[in-house]
Amino acid sequence: MQGISLRAFVGAWVVTSVAIASAQPAPPVEPAPAPPPTVEPAPAAPPEPGPGLHLPELQIHGFASEGGFVSTANDYIGDSSQGDLHFFEAGLNVSTEVADRLRVGLQLFGRAEGRFHDLPPRLDWAYLDYRWQSWLGLRAGIIKMPFGLYNEYADIDAARLSILQPQAVYPLQDRSALLAQTGFSLYGEARLGGGGSLEYQAWLGTLDVPSNALNVNGATLDSVDTHYVTGAQVFWHPKLEGLRIGATYLRASLDFNLTLSPANIMAVVAAGLEPPTYDGKLVISQTPTTLIIGSAEYLLGDWTFAAEYSRWLTHQSSTLSALLPDFDRDNERFYVLAARRLSERFETGGYYSVYEVDANDRAGHDHAAFPIRSNAFQRDLAATLRFDVNPAWLWKVEAHFIDGTADLEPVQNPSPTRYWGLFLLKTTVTF
Amino acid sequence: MQGLTRRGWILAVALVATRRAFADTERFVIVVHPDNPVRAVDREFLRDAYLKKATDWGNGETIRPVDLATRFEVRDLFTREVLRKTPAQLRSYWNQQIFSGKGTPPVEADSIREMLEYIASNVGAIGYLPAGAAPARVKVVEVR
Repeated sequence: MQGISLRAFVGAWVVTSVAIASAQPAPPVEPAPAPPPTVEPAPAAPPEPGPGLHLPELQIHGFASEGGFVSTANDYIGDSSQGDLHFFEAGLNVSTEVADRLRVGLQLFGRAEGRFHDLPPRLDWAYLDYRWQSWLGLRAGIIKMPFGLYNEYADIDAARLSILQPQAVYPLQDRSALLAQTGFSLYGEARLGGGGSLEYQAWLGTLDVPSNALNVNGATLDSVDTHYVTGAQVFWHPKLEGLRIGATYLRASLDFNLTLSPANIMAVVAAGLEPPTYDGKLVISQTPTTLIIGSAEYLLGDWTFAAEYSRWLTHQSSTLSALLPDFDRDNERFYVLAARRLSERFETGGYYSVYEVDANDRAGHDHAAFPIRSNAFQRDLAATLRFDVNPAWLWKVEAHFIDGTADLEPVQNPSPTRYWGLFLLKTTVTF
Repeated sequence: MQGLTRRGWILAVALVATRRAFADTERFVIVVHPDNPVRAVDREFLRDAYLKKATDWGNGETIRPVDLATRFEVRDLFTREVLRKTPAQLRSYWNQQIFSGKGTPPVEADSIREMLEYIASNVGAIGYLPAGAAPARVKVVEVR
């Protein structure tokens, strides 16, 4: 039963009492303007087509990516040690403004990335969004989960440099669980006079965790009950152009309903932990899981700098405590990132990302907890080159030099190699 | 240069600084619907309006920004000087908004004539034009 490893994750309710006297960024209004000068238009160079501005009632956008990856050792994401060409993802969304400041939309998303499959496509997000004022809006439905700088944009390859986001903070394998919550969200932005502006969100809902979102060994996952997921996020945009600093708090309460494999049922019964009539049902509860992250991003001309530091705190218990004792876990996760756009077509950069399973035992000295010491951490130095063929089509190539195996699946990697490399290639079309 | 007094230096520096401060706005003008009571806007407001972070003019009227097509030089200038983003960063920003469902970019006019028609027919509209184009049916506002 040691093989039962759950990777769960969650979202939240934002207590934002953002009673910020939201200064609507209203321009100075002055009475009776003088008649403007009337001069004939002096068109800039290009030829002008006929009159009539077309305002699309229905916005339709999409993207599709394909690629491949290979590692020098270990199987990561998929069969990387053999080379894996299953690196497909696609999304299609439709949105429209049904009334003044009221938008509705939905997105379908599908992927076949290594061992992660969301096919046929599933509803990624679908919500209505009423922006009453700049300082207060409401969203209701299946809403992307804010977490750190980039979780809401995790799927949007065209919006970032790297192929894999820093895996310490944005693990690909948690994508399905973490991406969205079903519920409500309040959000807005308020000016702080000379202090810049404040952007905030708060939310409350439940998670829709598909059964393939979690890795369970020695059992099957029947369902996931989310009691709640709640959180809040605040970003401060100071007067220094391009800088934003913020924090996100997420909290969730989850029950994972499992059925043990026949072999494990027999083992449990043989050990006298359960009667012979035991049906193998097992509930693992994470009550709560709490995620905290501090974030900073600075856009300076063609440069992007970012850094985030996160702690993921989990209290886990089970209905088979003799087999799965209660425990508390404190993950430490952080990264630093720098990127530079070299020209309209080329961008390059990299990051250093660190995941430590136990913040109190970063090197894995506790042999009972980490029989393989390198499973206690994963330090990833990554570099990417992006080439934009045109605004709608891009290519990326990326290299990772990794020390540690904490993010590997134990079943696929019973004897992991501590030092290894991962190389990825990806192309994306966006419209 | 020996003849330049201290006061002269200060004046010269001030003139250069002033010229630089106005250089950006000399290359485009901001226009709104004639019935819009606003006479001046600041850059922060323009930025919020075009990134769709600001929703209304302060009198309940919804802000309706309109962009020129990317082939217009003035769009590139406006993006860099007012939105403080490179065109690539702006693309990235709108990709994030679109694919997270948070919003869509301003409507895009394929010609100046289209932009003028849109502004003239929408009270909450705001647009930009190359400097020197202060056309009829819309109102030029000052940028502070």
